[in-house]
Amino acid sequence: MRVADISKIGLLVWLAAVIVAAFFYVHAAEGFIGESSRIVFFHVPMAWIAVLAFLVSCVTSVMYLRRRDPRDDIRASVSAGLGLLFAFLATTTGAVFAKIMWGAYWNWDPRQTSITILLLIYAAYLALRGAVDDPERRASLSAVYAILAFVTVPFLVFVVPRIYWSLHPDTIINTRGTNEFDSRYTQVLLASVLGFTGLYVWLYTIGCRIEAIRQRRRQEVLDV
Amino acid sequence: MSDLMGIAVVTLMIWVGLFGYVYRLDRKVSRLED
Repeated sequence: MRVADISKIGLLVWLAAVIVAAFFYVHAAEGFIGESSRIVFFHVPMAWIAVLAFLVSCVTSVMYLRRRDPRDDIRASVSAGLGLLFAFLATTTGAVFAKIMWGAYWNWDPRQTSITILLLIYAAYLALRGAVDDPERRASLSAVYAILAFVTVPFLVFVVPRIYWSLHPDTIINTRGTNEFDSRYTQVLLASVLGFTGLYVWLYTIGCRIEAIRQRRRQEVLDV
Repeated sequence: MSDLMGIAVVTLMIWVGLFGYVYRLDRKVSRLED
């Protein structure tokens, strides 16, 4: 068995262990209805991966503008797509939590509003890519757009939800700069973040390889 | 089976199913690259 296969099986076992720990190693947190606090082990890593993916998209876009290497354009687009997927999943898990805690899936809470804007910004990135036929022009335009789009991420994810009053719990990163989770919650959450980061790296690698094959085949068709 | 156990089992099934799908996709991409 190759090292790559072992690391994939390791990821399977790691995240399976995180799921078991999320349900049976930690107790339901005080101040939350029923078992709703356990969703944090999935919701927070998904939001983290969305921010990481948008950051990677921004960095690879800068690299594209500097080097004009089409592989950087592929990296930026794959990462933006994954960021959009994980932001959508974070929104969905957040809505389930909102239904249990606040009685409705959607409350126009500052955090829900800001992530909606973020989803629209990155959906527009993919729409932009789909609207331009010329590969070089598409790559340049979308690289500039991805850099500008990422400028909004710190404001929408970290600043806006802390300026306005919010229903959202702030026990992890709060305005007091303290971690108010008990140690078991912190352990499982960090393990989950690590596992989700591994999943992102794997999906990102596959996405880049698929896009490279697609471009190679397109070029072969054009050459014929 | 308690609700918590049921949700845990469903979450595990989703994860294993997702992993299997991505693993097969990974293998398929490797074949296409050769």
